[in-house]
Amino acid sequence: MDLSYQEKSILGSLLAMVVVYGYYFASVLRNVGRPEFDGGSLGRLILAVIAIIVIEIVYHIVLALESKTEPKDERDILIECKAYRNAYFLLATGACLVIGYVIVAGLAREAAPTRIIVTPFLTVNLVLFAMVLAELMKFLTQLFYYRRGL
Amino acid sequence: MTKGRIRNNIRRLRFDRSEMTQQELAERVGVTRQTIIAIEQDKYSPSLEVAFRIARVFGVPLEEVFQYETDAGVGIEP
Repeated sequence: MDLSYQEKSILGSLLAMVVVYGYYFASVLRNVGRPEFDGGSLGRLILAVIAIIVIEIVYHIVLALESKTEPKDERDILIECKAYRNAYFLLATGACLVIGYVIVAGLAREAAPTRIIVTPFLTVNLVLFAMVLAELMKFLTQLFYYRRGL
Repeated sequence: MTKGRIRNNIRRLRFDRSEMTQQELAERVGVTRQTIIAIEQDKYSPSLEVAFRIARVFGVPLEEVFQYETDAGVGIEP
């Protein structure tokens, strides 16, 4: 399959995010009962962010060495705009769901003892998950339009 | 309003100009080769500015490069 520079760049970023945040959220799931977003949690998050940055830098250096870099033109920008639109909808939906979850869990806890938990650890990671999903949506939308056409 | 589509003759015009490559056309127009490929395959309709630049590279009027087609035929509905 003949991939353009932009497609290779996006595909690399997509795979890096899936691997690094997949690993991060797997560790979150193992510690889902943790109440606070403490130093250890913050350390894992910072490590994930640093890993993404390092992988992206190394990958893009290799990509620039092996294939000719191409500046973005109007089609790339248009595709990026469409991708940001889809990512925005997903992020807004995720934010609304997290807000709804926190409100409903608060009301439920007031009404009767419940198993629904809302902790700073869970809330931070739910918001982060929505952000990561939105970013993945951006990459997938871009790849879709590059392949199918506008 | 009938939905139409934009067709183009870029492939033929390239062929007529001593088989100009997609890369050469892309460089002269100021877009990527992928964009020229997408335009040739009718997968992307360029902006008016890029359309004029393509026509200028070939030295022909815009209508010779791009045509607007509807079910009723080529051109604009009355």
